[in-house]
Amino acid sequence: MSTTPRHSSTPLTRRRFLSATGALGAGTLLAACGGGSASPGSGSASGPAAEPAADTYDGPNVELEFWNGFTGGDGPYMQALVDAFNSEHENVNVRMTVMEWADYYSKLPAAVTSGRGPDVGIMHIDSLSTNAARNVIMPLDDVAAALDLNASDFAEAVWNAGEYAGQRYGIPLDVHPLGYFYNKQVLADAGLDPEDPPMDRDSYEAALEALKSAGVAGHWMSPHTFTGSMTLQSLIWQFGGSLFNDDGTEVTWDQDPAIEALTWMVDAINNDYSPSDVGQDADAIALQNGQTAFNWNGIWHINTLKEVSGLEWGVAPLPNIGGTQAAWAGSHNFVMTSQRRPDENKLDAARVFINWVSQQSLDWAEGGQVPARSSVRESAEFQELTEQAALAQQVDYLRFPPAVPGIGDAFADFDQALNEAVLLTKEPAKALSDAAARATKKLEENRDRYSE
Amino acid sequence: MATTATSPGRTGRRDSTGATSRIRRHAPWTPYAFMAPFLAIFITFVAAPAVFGLWMSLHDWDYMLEVKPFVGFANYLNLFDSTSAAFEMFWNGIRATGIFTVASVPLLVGIPLGLAVLLNRRFPGRTFFRAVFFMPYVLGVAVVGLLFRFVLDPNIGILNAAIDAVGLDSLLNALGVGTPIPWITAQPWAWISLVAMTVWWTLGFNTIIYLAGLQDIPAELYDAAKVDGASSWQQFRHVTLPGLRSVLVFVVVITVLASANMFGQSVLVTGGGPGDSTRTALMVILGEGLESFRMGSAAAMSYLLAVFLGIVSIINVLAVRERRKS
Amino acid sequence: MTTTLAERASGSAAPDRQTGARSLFSSAVFWLFLAVLTVIFIGPILWMFLTSLKTNPEATTIPPTILPEQATFDAYDSLLRLDGSYPVLRWFFNSLLAATLHMLLVLAVASCAAYALARLRFRFRGFFFVVIVSTLFVPGFVFLMPNYLIIDRLGWLDTVWALVVPGAAGAFGVFFLRQFFAMLPGELEEAALIDGANQWQIFTRVVLPNSKPALATLAVLSFLTNWNDFIWPIYVLFSPERLTLPAGLRLLQGAYTTDYPVIMAGAFVASVPVLILFVFTQRYVIEGVSRSGLKG
Repeated sequence: MSTTPRHSSTPLTRRRFLSATGALGAGTLLAACGGGSASPGSGSASGPAAEPAADTYDGPNVELEFWNGFTGGDGPYMQALVDAFNSEHENVNVRMTVMEWADYYSKLPAAVTSGRGPDVGIMHIDSLSTNAARNVIMPLDDVAAALDLNASDFAEAVWNAGEYAGQRYGIPLDVHPLGYFYNKQVLADAGLDPEDPPMDRDSYEAALEALKSAGVAGHWMSPHTFTGSMTLQSLIWQFGGSLFNDDGTEVTWDQDPAIEALTWMVDAINNDYSPSDVGQDADAIALQNGQTAFNWNGIWHINTLKEVSGLEWGVAPLPNIGGTQAAWAGSHNFVMTSQRRPDENKLDAARVFINWVSQQSLDWAEGGQVPARSSVRESAEFQELTEQAALAQQVDYLRFPPAVPGIGDAFADFDQALNEAVLLTKEPAKALSDAAARATKKLEENRDRYSE
Repeated sequence: MATTATSPGRTGRRDSTGATSRIRRHAPWTPYAFMAPFLAIFITFVAAPAVFGLWMSLHDWDYMLEVKPFVGFANYLNLFDSTSAAFEMFWNGIRATGIFTVASVPLLVGIPLGLAVLLNRRFPGRTFFRAVFFMPYVLGVAVVGLLFRFVLDPNIGILNAAIDAVGLDSLLNALGVGTPIPWITAQPWAWISLVAMTVWWTLGFNTIIYLAGLQDIPAELYDAAKVDGASSWQQFRHVTLPGLRSVLVFVVVITVLASANMFGQSVLVTGGGPGDSTRTALMVILGEGLESFRMGSAAAMSYLLAVFLGIVSIINVLAVRERRKS
Repeated sequence: MTTTLAERASGSAAPDRQTGARSLFSSAVFWLFLAVLTVIFIGPILWMFLTSLKTNPEATTIPPTILPEQATFDAYDSLLRLDGSYPVLRWFFNSLLAATLHMLLVLAVASCAAYALARLRFRFRGFFFVVIVSTLFVPGFVFLMPNYLIIDRLGWLDTVWALVVPGAAGAFGVFFLRQFFAMLPGELEEAALIDGANQWQIFTRVVLPNSKPALATLAVLSFLTNWNDFIWPIYVLFSPERLTLPAGLRLLQGAYTTDYPVIMAGAFVASVPVLILFVFTQRYVIEGVSRSGLKG
């Protein structure tokens, strides 16, 4: 490993977030337990001095640790990209470690604290602000500048959501919207056109009614985060509502559009368009087994369905139930973690790695994603990935939660409201307002904590 | 570990404080030498962290933030203040843990007792059956959780299919129970499932402990009871139960502690649902500390829970002792 | 001098309360009852195995098939390779190593401490005992973060020591052995003292040999506790090849959310070695626990 001296003037070595309170010893994350070495240059100049040209790295050999939560079918695609990068770059060796997302998010801060964290990681867009505020990840403005990345090459909502407190923390890799999967065989059996699934509320409900007369519960409503919460969020936006106000200070999912959206889901159960008590993933399995016609599921589900032999299925953008086009989406972002002992060579190599993968995001798209880069998304090659391309249309009307630290805490309450209503234990309005009351308290408390 | 080089005959001293007639001969530091390896680990990994945890609970503590403001007892007071965000979560978790404990402990104390009496008889294959009932316990909660999430799935699980296959569904429908039964997505089924799978998983362990106790009951007592014309039930009531009293205390206390720490089953099978009804206290604490990063608050919750558990355990011990007197 | 207790233990055989005049009917009920219980206890494990032999569509069809239409070992393909993405066997060996080392450490340190607390007299004995036992009630979370930081300072992150050592500070082992040691009759050690033995000799030659059942019980308990733990390993282990079974199975479940044959195959591979281990040792294990005579 290299022994190159640290450049204490590079902003990358710094957790700029705390500059407001006077750049307290940035290395002593473990003030209480003595994390040991204070990192160098914590108080010096912090101009955006991004001088290195970041698409090549010619320093000494470095090893990069790269962590992510791609445990599913997307993991092998990312591993293939990493392998390709390693063979093209003799002096950089990237080692990828995969873990469950939930474990990853609670383990990463501890690992970063102890200096055992990765150099590069992946984060969902709605986790960036929390981790930025907690100094887990560091600003990447200079990476973006050095790589000449800018808003014009990314979908606007995605690019903007990567910023927190005026600084960029994430380089978007992909967008993964919710899609509308349908079983063609089931549609045909019920006398519906398998090539032309219903795309608005009236025809959708008519189709559900037709399926019901054919003895099929057409759209299984999941009470779980996957896929119920994503479905409900899409519907709330479609009905003209939102989850939070723009600056993330207020919860708005107890308002009428949200109640309408959740009621629509619950009515599907009351009308026998869906069974009650749908288990985790049972909605997806039902589609595969021909027990249901529709399933709103993540784009990553494309590859799962491709592997089911003999299944006749299709995928389209979400039907417009509420009146406004909208679809839930997540986005994976590259992040660089705060380092106890920053190593300039590693930082340079990490930048090269991020840029390289970002340019190869077409290969990544095959893993069931929509590339974040417009240039890749609009390429002929991507358009050939018909299923993914079908869902990419939705990129224009995506929404992401406001960049407020701790916003994830509120989603636990949102998911609980969904769960209670879809399991028919609470009226939709009551479930939503109870959850909103709890989430509002958490947001208030988080505002106090993270403002200090 | 050569601890005592003392020759007892010369340097040993008679322990004048002891009420017993036992001779205690060892150097004053000998006990500490015996304690030392354990104490080293205990102080490092339990005592010091416990003190540190107390300190944590008095602060708004997040190891990633530079500022960890001292908040006094606010983290504790919040747990008694119905307007705080932590209040509802915590007490809901305590309630879930309470429900699980109350529902599972009698079963985990009672069923193994019956099974142990049964398995204590002599019959061919006794060892085999003991092994069968202990077997699930060696699987571990990770395997048991995966298995039961699959078995109990309302739509694709074998349990509901089996109920249909043997025609139990019409019986259940006649009793007013809708089928398929939502084993993990509706109450009270979710609790029934969690309790039943926990009984399935851990019953063997308590059974073995009872078997141990049964072997210590002198056979003459049963012979005497038989001579007096006692029925099987009377023998059980007047010989077996009194003979097992101390074992019973042990089983009740460790079962209560294990149930109160229930966590894996909920995480793996119900995910805390439906709603948050099976989100146990331990799940709440871990969520608060490791997902919301409010570690001071999580530490305060832990200590409050510890106090409850201590009180419950003392009551358990006292209750059984009381009965012994009467 | 070790015979007295052994005799006492083996002499107290299970009382035979069969009257001999038991009716055929009640005997039939008895066997039927046992048969039903056996199905309940073995059934789910058998189901796990049968599912692992099915294809995914078959595993989730309704109504389910009992026996696989066409048994396939496909689900085991990637799991059994040591260099695969989900090296279940490697995880198994990691778990086995960690649990065994942990068990040995617990036996060593807890028995020494319990001996001092049970049979030696010293000033802080009561204090130590109360402090140690009171930690039984404190939920593990309190120790999680501080222990992580300590493990980090010791350089033990991502090593087996992180799994072996911290848990050995648990109060249960000391409490359990102390109760057992305390009821051993005092005559044995008095005889040993007269023979000129020191405390270490009494401990190793008198107390430990007479406590085999209790030690066996604690061995099983500490092994299984370590084997079962699935929060702590997730935190302190990073490399996929160093995971323990519970942590690894979590990864597997994330990877194959709806592929039940693979998940069940993973669970089964994880269970088979420990079940085999159990079949071969169960006599000793069960007898060991049964003989420990837990007199509170």
